[in-house]
Amino acid sequence: MNLQLGTLEEMILIILLMKEETYGVEIAKEYKNQLSQTISLPAIHVVLKRLEKKGFVESRLGEPTPERGGKGKRLYRATNKGFETAQELQHRRNEIWKTIPKLNFSLA
Amino acid sequence: MKHQPPKWALRFLEFFLRADYSDEIQGDITEAFYWRVQEEGLFKARFKFILEVLKSLKPTNLKSFYHLSLNTMIFRNYLKVAFRTLLKRKSTSFINIFGLSIGVAAFVFIFLYTYQIFTFDDHHQKKDRIFMAYKERITPDGTQATYDTWVPLKDRLISDYNQIEESARYYTSSASIKKNNRYLEEDIVYTDPSLFKIFTFPVIHGNHAMLFPTKNSIVLNEKTAIKYFDTSDAVGNYIEVFLQEEDTTLRYQVSAVIKNHPENASLQPRMMIPMESIPIYPELANSWNGSFLETYVLLRDPSDAIQLEADFPNLIESIWDKQVRENTNFKLLPFEEVYDTFFGDSANARTLMAIGIAILLIAIINFMNLSTAQATQRAKEVGLRKVLGAFQGQLRTQFITESFVMSFIATVLGLLIVVFTINPFNQFFDLNIALSQFSGLEIIAASAVLIISLGILSGSYPAFYLSSIGAIEVLRQKLGMNASTSFRNILVVLQFAIALFLIASTIIVSRQINYMANKNMGFESEAILIINASPWSFTDRELAQTRLKSFKTELSNKSYINDISSSRSVPTSWTRSFVFVRPNDWEGDPLRMRYTYVDANFFDIYGIPVKYGRNFLSDSEGDQRGSVILNEAAMRAFEFSSEKENTIRIGDNEISVVGIVEDFHFETLQNEVAPTLIFHRVADNLAAHNTITLRMDMNNLVERIEEIESMWNELGSTQEFSYSFMDDRVANLYEEENRYLGMVGLFSAVSIIIACLGLYGLTLFIIEKRRKEISIRKVLGAEINTILRLIFTDFTKWVAIAFIIAVPFAVYFLGEWLESYHYRIDISWITFVVALLIVLGLVILTVGYQSLRAASSNPVKYLKDE
Repeated sequence: MNLQLGTLEEMILIILLMKEETYGVEIAKEYKNQLSQTISLPAIHVVLKRLEKKGFVESRLGEPTPERGGKGKRLYRATNKGFETAQELQHRRNEIWKTIPKLNFSLA
Repeated sequence: MKHQPPKWALRFLEFFLRADYSDEIQGDITEAFYWRVQEEGLFKARFKFILEVLKSLKPTNLKSFYHLSLNTMIFRNYLKVAFRTLLKRKSTSFINIFGLSIGVAAFVFIFLYTYQIFTFDDHHQKKDRIFMAYKERITPDGTQATYDTWVPLKDRLISDYNQIEESARYYTSSASIKKNNRYLEEDIVYTDPSLFKIFTFPVIHGNHAMLFPTKNSIVLNEKTAIKYFDTSDAVGNYIEVFLQEEDTTLRYQVSAVIKNHPENASLQPRMMIPMESIPIYPELANSWNGSFLETYVLLRDPSDAIQLEADFPNLIESIWDKQVRENTNFKLLPFEEVYDTFFGDSANARTLMAIGIAILLIAIINFMNLSTAQATQRAKEVGLRKVLGAFQGQLRTQFITESFVMSFIATVLGLLIVVFTINPFNQFFDLNIALSQFSGLEIIAASAVLIISLGILSGSYPAFYLSSIGAIEVLRQKLGMNASTSFRNILVVLQFAIALFLIASTIIVSRQINYMANKNMGFESEAILIINASPWSFTDRELAQTRLKSFKTELSNKSYINDISSSRSVPTSWTRSFVFVRPNDWEGDPLRMRYTYVDANFFDIYGIPVKYGRNFLSDSEGDQRGSVILNEAAMRAFEFSSEKENTIRIGDNEISVVGIVEDFHFETLQNEVAPTLIFHRVADNLAAHNTITLRMDMNNLVERIEEIESMWNELGSTQEFSYSFMDDRVANLYEEENRYLGMVGLFSAVSIIIACLGLYGLTLFIIEKRRKEISIRKVLGAEINTILRLIFTDFTKWVAIAFIIAVPFAVYFLGEWLESYHYRIDISWITFVVALLIVLGLVILTVGYQSLRAASSNPVKYLKDE
């Protein structure tokens, strides 16, 4: 399985997994909530396109709303492949995490 | 939703973004804007909005170039059709584009050349307020302008006239400048600090406000600074100047360095020193006796010039007396007119510009003629388009597009031709023109103007005409072509008229130049070598005398030198010195006349016959002081008769006229031979002479000149050996005229080639149209020459009409040009016959082959379809 996934890509993929179906602005809000860090929309758009190209997400056009200046949304949803890849990454990371000898870093 | 995101930014996105991404990106950014307005405030939201718009312009989000345009479908269709038409009619397109691009190239060359003349001195910002003060002598034969003025005039003008803001004197002298223990000859200008307030001389180094801070300051231009100090920042360095006319050496400190002067400037000072620093200045400061320098003034308002000129007689009277007031005028020459007064003739430049425009016109006419001639072939296309719903306006746009495509290609090609041929052009005409004097932006803007005007001029008539063809008439094959035919005929006649005019002009100009170059100058110029040998170009003049004398003796002992003579001036660069003189028994005003000094051998070496009286006696002291030889012009001016003894008076000195020489042309034949007084100074009196004339045996010339040069180099002069041949000097008198002739000839040839190309294209169409007529005539028994006559009648008629139009124009304009030459040819009718024969010959060549082919072709080929 190809596990090539950037940090930002992984983060956004996880947000997508969190939500059933979502779009750019929601992602930006969630990102801010979770990480207390702002992110620009064009950055999210680039990542979404990239994820879509890799087959981790799929999208459909949504309804136009007035607060969007009459423009339609593009709603994204993670695919199974996306879920599996994220899970696999998470799993492997946990495996590696366990090998860190805890005694070396005193928690006190 | 009180606050709106900037609409323009969204439209911007709409234009550039891929259609399938556009909605999402625009929508998200807009939504985020409203969210941020609430969370972070309006300012931040707006800032982030614009930032995100810009960040969205990533290559992956953009439309491909192909889709990037508003509503370009129809326009792209026009372009497509235009290119197809160009490719479909290759011969026509070639004629159009080739003709037009050559026309553009010729026009650009002419423009670059004449631009230098039209913008002469334009870099002086106060040009319109600058005037040159000069004086006119009122003589019985009219007024005589001279441009030399007096040292105190400047201060007098400033103190007497409030209308004059500044004034500066300007005198060019020669100096020897010391560099590494060698002396180099330079022109040096004595002037005033106010010169820099009148003229625009941009300062690179030094203080702008105080260019002459002390009396011993010198201002250099960049080139001179680099020549002497290897850097343009020479401020503070000292320079040693030997002033030849003052016979003193002075030390100057460089106070400023100014920019190099543009080529097309009348004043090109390379070294300037304050006039007050010259040792002799205190003596001259208040002297109204000698006039030798130029005085420039800057008026507060240029319209004051008339008022000032009207008041100058009072000034003259207050300086001298009533009598001087009677025979002298003071005038102000607008700086604008300096080029025409001293440098050349801007009328020639205007003529060239007219030729340039005529060439473009001929090329434009080609396009118009060929497009309307094609009308029959394109009528079906037009008809069909109309049936399918095209409006006339759309069709017009389409045809205009075609002419724009053509003018675009032609202009680009024309500029390429210029770029590749500018060096040979410069070399051939000895010019220094370059596209690089304009910035890239200027060139692009000028090209755009050219493309648009060529496109509109050549395209509008065909577009209007072709689009007006009615759909029904076309489809019913009833196309009346009369209107376009007669218009086309007028255009062809116009082309012929221009061609005839240009050919006639070329012939007349070249005949005039030949006449001047071949006319007997009245002196011999073959095998004569001139050496510049002035005692002024030695630092020690006592030594110079003896050295030059031995140089001359040595020369005369050489077997290959047949004759030798010393003189102040030689023909082709004749004296510019004047003196006031009158016949002894005259009571009237004296005449202002040129004078020069020669030795007794001068008339022999140049073969100038002494008509009356005798030559000077060699080595005669009395001859040197009390006798003069006149030329015939002077004899006429004095109203002397050859029978009796004549004497003239200069001041209180009586001088007897010992001989009269035949008039010889000591300058170009543009001017009448001027009266000249020729005085005798013996050959050994070298202070009076500036040149040595040698009559040489012309074999092994190179070695002999090298030998003379090495003899010269031993003399220790500050000046390098410089020599010239008299026949070259005579030929160079007409350099400017020859250049003008070369340009007129070249561009006439270009215009005629373009006209012939157009004619060729037109013939193709005319024959095509009359194919069936010709074939039927042949079937009915017409001979080949009958058919040829049929085709040629039209062309002959056009040439005849063009001839009638062109002749009066040529007679008028060239008559005016010839007016400026005192010795000139008459315009003869043969010129026009020759021009007519050339044009007819070209018409026969261009039209002939095609016609002959049409006339001798097999009629069956063209009639079998009927």
